[in-house]
Amino acid sequence: MRRVIADLIAFGRQYMRSRIGAFFAFAFPVILILLFGAIFSGQGSTKIPLYVQDLDDTPTSRAYLGALNNTTVIEYERIPGNEVILTYIRENSINTALRIPAGFEDNVTRAAAGDPTAAVNVTLYGDPTLTTYGIAAAAVSGAATQMNFGLAGARAVIGMDTATVSQEQLKFIDFFLPGMIGFTVLTNALFAMTPTAAEYRTRKYFKFLATTTLKKGEWLLSKVLFYTIIMSISALIIMSVSALVWGGKMTLTPGSIALTIAFIAAGCFEFTSLGMALGIYAKDVETASAVANAIGFPMMFLGGTFFQIESMPPIIQGLATAMPLTYLNEGLRATMIFGNDGKALFYLGVTLVLGFVFFLIPAKLLSWKSK
Amino acid sequence: MLPRFRIGGGTVAVEGAPAANAIQIQVQGLTKRYGDVKAVDGIDFEVRAGEIFSLLGPNGAGKTTTVEILEGLRNPTGGTARVLGVDVNDSYAKIRARVGVLPQDFDPFDRLRPREAIAYWATLFNRRITKTEVADLIETVGLTARANAYAMHLSGGEKRRLGIALALVGRPDLVFLDEPTTGLDPGARRDLWELIRSLKREGKTVVLTTHYLEEAEKLADHVAIMNKGKIVARGTPDGLIQNHGRGTTVVLAGAGADGHRALAARGIPASLDGNDVVVHVAAAADVRSMLAKVAAIEVPLTEIYTKRDTLEDVFLRVVGARMREGVLAE
Repeated sequence: MRRVIADLIAFGRQYMRSRIGAFFAFAFPVILILLFGAIFSGQGSTKIPLYVQDLDDTPTSRAYLGALNNTTVIEYERIPGNEVILTYIRENSINTALRIPAGFEDNVTRAAAGDPTAAVNVTLYGDPTLTTYGIAAAAVSGAATQMNFGLAGARAVIGMDTATVSQEQLKFIDFFLPGMIGFTVLTNALFAMTPTAAEYRTRKYFKFLATTTLKKGEWLLSKVLFYTIIMSISALIIMSVSALVWGGKMTLTPGSIALTIAFIAAGCFEFTSLGMALGIYAKDVETASAVANAIGFPMMFLGGTFFQIESMPPIIQGLATAMPLTYLNEGLRATMIFGNDGKALFYLGVTLVLGFVFFLIPAKLLSWKSK
Repeated sequence: MLPRFRIGGGTVAVEGAPAANAIQIQVQGLTKRYGDVKAVDGIDFEVRAGEIFSLLGPNGAGKTTTVEILEGLRNPTGGTARVLGVDVNDSYAKIRARVGVLPQDFDPFDRLRPREAIAYWATLFNRRITKTEVADLIETVGLTARANAYAMHLSGGEKRRLGIALALVGRPDLVFLDEPTTGLDPGARRDLWELIRSLKREGKTVVLTTHYLEEAEKLADHVAIMNKGKIVARGTPDGLIQNHGRGTTVVLAGAGADGHRALAARGIPASLDGNDVVVHVAAAADVRSMLAKVAAIEVPLTEIYTKRDTLEDVFLRVVGARMREGVLAE
């Protein structure tokens, strides 16, 4: 074990002194959590801006706008009545706009008096592919329905209550935090270890190490231990930033904490081994980096780091199940957010099995001897 | 330089080391093939305890392949090689800690300081090493002033010195130095020669591969000249020069054609080399009388001096070509 620790310390010194390693281990995840937190964590207004041209400008049209405001998802701004709305939208780069036509109140009044021919349409301008358009459309339709019920003297019978499935209401940052830890483990262990293994081979460090009593398995073990330590510290920093800056929450039971640490260790084992397996075959350090990127980047996006796997198309969901990162992210999420340790244990098992398979490749095929 | 880093108490009676003159390396019919190419072609030699043994030859002669087999880093195709009493094919792990290696292309870890690298390497040889011992070893290899510099900032010579320190940190009985001075300037090369001599004084057995003939001649107790995978000559430097050289040459500098004629008139075989006249004397015992004879001719000349054949002359004779920086030149 002394040799493993000595190798770990020597490797760690070089890693931290390269500064790039330290940046990706500690600074980069913090930057990402601050960035994504600022984007998604409810800082500032969460309402959708809706530009409204009220050509009627009557108590009834203003009442309709009041109903829109009450939906709490819309914050409207006015377009002057003398503007050509399409020109105004284009010149002001507006995503979504609403036009209330002249005669709005007149039609509503006639409908209330029983005129069956009375009808009026408001027009929603925008790009239907945008999420904000869908939200605005739902709000506009909802406000219209509410007014229609009022005019008909009816009332809503079927309503909707909401309830959260987690112990506390989840924010994006809570979803993002476990993914961020998985992402950091992936980028550090895989992206660093692949070129490192290639460098050890091309600069003949393996051959030089073979002249000592250090065993191949001890060298592999020291790398796994090193990344586990570094990533545990990194995860602690990420969780602290998430909690202190964005109010991120996680389950803090002894079991959950132990499982989180176990996931970090298993992830380091898995991706360090994969990095070594790739690195020992790469022609040079540059090729090794390219190979790590080619494998790591799709995994980063398909493994549920930034987006929920359930929201992906079915074929992509199928691909996600083939990504080792998926099981790390989902396992961390299961224990850190939902406190579902049973499910987390299953994912931990999958991660460990994959790690063992990846470990066997360099353990069996990496030769410190020359041919 | 007085080495302060000592293996044991004395220069030969090293703790755990074999008795002086014991065979440390025994190679018989050693072969290494790569497809149809024989990198090492049935070579035999022995290395005894406490000596500096040099494998000499041009690039591609098979020196490094041979040494790497003896270091346990390559498997031979045929023949036998025993190092410190162990067959290299079977149980190298038993002697690994007793063998120090400076690889031909040694490249230190960029961001480790020499003192850190030495402490690290000591642990890899299962040695507990104190800071004082690290400082002593750094002093032995002449790196004290650079002990805290990152290895990537060391010069070529300093890196080799660090490599030698790493080869020595396990207190080995046997040290392999594979082309330790290649690429170094003459001053750095001579400094390393002194360091290698100090290893011999410490009682270590040193296997030195080199393509510098002068280096082998000055340092080695025994030399084996390799070419195309075979050992083409073997012995002590003096023995090789005696067996393969042409003895001593007397040079009459500036004697010119007149000097050549004067010697011919006295029945002394001589040849012209530019404006110098050279006379070969086969037996060392005849040099004095020959000097007296050539000094007697009354021809103007600049000086008379003698020169012995060197390993370079031997190499030219047995290989049939000169060697410059490891490459056969003619």
